[in-house]
Amino acid sequence: MRIFTNNLRLFWDGTLLSYRALFHWLRPAQYVASKVFMPLAQMFFFVFLGTFATSAANAGFYIIGNAIQITAVSGIFGVTMSVGGERETGTLPYLFGTPANRLVTFFGRAFMHVLDGMLGVVIAFGWGVILLGLDLSHTNLAALGLTIAVTTLSTCGLGLLMGCLSLITVNVMFVNNFVYFLLLIFSGANVPLADLPNWMQVVSYALPLTRGIAAARSLVAGAPLADVAPLLWAELGVGLVYGLIGYFLFSWFEFEAKRRGTLEVF
Amino acid sequence: MNAIEIKQLQRIFKTHTGVIKRTAREVRAVEDVSLEIQEGELFGLLGPNGAGKTTTVKMLATLLIPSAGSASVKGFDVVKQADEVRRRIGFIFGGERGLYWRLTGIDNLRYFASLYGIDPDVSKKRIPYLLEMVGLKGRGDEFVGGYSRGMKQRLHVARTLLHDPDVLFLDEPTIGLDPVGARDFRQVILDLQSEKKSILLTTHYMFEADALCDRIAVIDHGRIIALDTPGGLKQHVADLSVVEVETFGASEAIIGGLRALPFVDALSVEETEKHQLLLVQTKRGAEAVPDILAALDGQRLGRVIVREPTLEDAYIRLVGGAV
Repeated sequence: MRIFTNNLRLFWDGTLLSYRALFHWLRPAQYVASKVFMPLAQMFFFVFLGTFATSAANAGFYIIGNAIQITAVSGIFGVTMSVGGERETGTLPYLFGTPANRLVTFFGRAFMHVLDGMLGVVIAFGWGVILLGLDLSHTNLAALGLTIAVTTLSTCGLGLLMGCLSLITVNVMFVNNFVYFLLLIFSGANVPLADLPNWMQVVSYALPLTRGIAAARSLVAGAPLADVAPLLWAELGVGLVYGLIGYFLFSWFEFEAKRRGTLEVF
Repeated sequence: MNAIEIKQLQRIFKTHTGVIKRTAREVRAVEDVSLEIQEGELFGLLGPNGAGKTTTVKMLATLLIPSAGSASVKGFDVVKQADEVRRRIGFIFGGERGLYWRLTGIDNLRYFASLYGIDPDVSKKRIPYLLEMVGLKGRGDEFVGGYSRGMKQRLHVARTLLHDPDVLFLDEPTIGLDPVGARDFRQVILDLQSEKKSILLTTHYMFEADALCDRIAVIDHGRIIALDTPGGLKQHVADLSVVEVETFGASEAIIGGLRALPFVDALSVEETEKHQLLLVQTKRGAEAVPDILAALDGQRLGRVIVREPTLEDAYIRLVGGAV
């Protein structure tokens, strides 16, 4: 029981304090810019480009795809920095010098970014409704909320995996940028999966976001939750697999960093 | 039981250079270190830069895996029983990094308390106690980013004592502190020793080691080259005197010529912006002064004194004047 309460406390303290500690550069103005205006810019870009290239009737396709894809900002960049930021602050040796449960420490890092990512998606949907005419009148909003939560969780799983790389590489941001742009295409946010070559479709279904975006599109079109439940379960499963691979890599990279003496390289 | 036991510890780093034609290179940071540190002992580890001091501390703190040999802390192996070791040790590396600057001092301690699994009821009492102990009473609510270097270092001490460890590793803890801050910090170290903590201290400041340590090991090129009490180490130079000569702009050639004189046992140079201080160790004492001045003929000289050797002189002799 004591171990459980200790770990619960570690989860909460780790979640809240590490978020405040490592994202200190994110001042209110920067936060608003990244959370409110960056989604708007991405949506404008892809919605107008997409409708120009296809038809105005397809606006919903691009709005929903990009609104959900926005979660990757928190899920990929935020989560990665919550691990890699320790290297920047020089706290990595002190963190690894404690007997703290690595599983709790590791997954605790993602929690605030799950909330943050969900907020980003909600704001993006807000822009879609207010400025781009997205119609949610046939949508089960609770189910859409669940879809946003599940997709954000699964994306954070990939983010945790990416975060591990920062234990063995000095600058993981270029990998993050690569993955972020990869998701713009492979997740089906901007190109229908059926139009992608077969090998790309295989990759798409191995990534988070893909099924979440498909589920959100179905829900906005009026489908009930039961119809998209298999997609959501699969989305959750994909995220869990990435998160678990990330955890095992985290443990392995911790060992490797100690073996190679790279804990404090920054 | 000894607090720390090290047997033939070795650490090799492998580095690579080149992109197309990769060249591997081995750096033997710790070659062969064996020593035992007793319970409640304040043990000093001295050596020039790159001698292997910090690498040794990192292996003991479970942050580096040894290439060969073994080490245990309070009977627990630092590799196979790393978590047991971590519960019993605290460590500080010199410098300002390693704290969350955007958090307050108290929040830093609260976070590390949760990492060590300390009960909140215990940490609520222990955090104010530690802040008072390290002289940060009333400053715990401030962001660490606004702390002076000395305050950050003292917060490091509070952090490392949160879980009341039996063994402490202090790696150059006073580096960069102003004289008053360093003096206060040394008092903190003495207070910790009076609490029967076993302490391994690395430092470049000989007077600090002389004043604080029960025993001192001198490490050079990854090997222990001397191990004794401060008084015992000074016996290495009991037969010597030190001639200090202040010079202004003496060239490498002049200093090299002086070093080559047969009666010079060791010579080190302390450089400042305005002058150099040549520390010449010799068995001839004051009789050597005329010959030394002759070797410096034509140079602009300041004061010249002859004095008894210190721990620093013993250290310089041990590491071959490479200071």
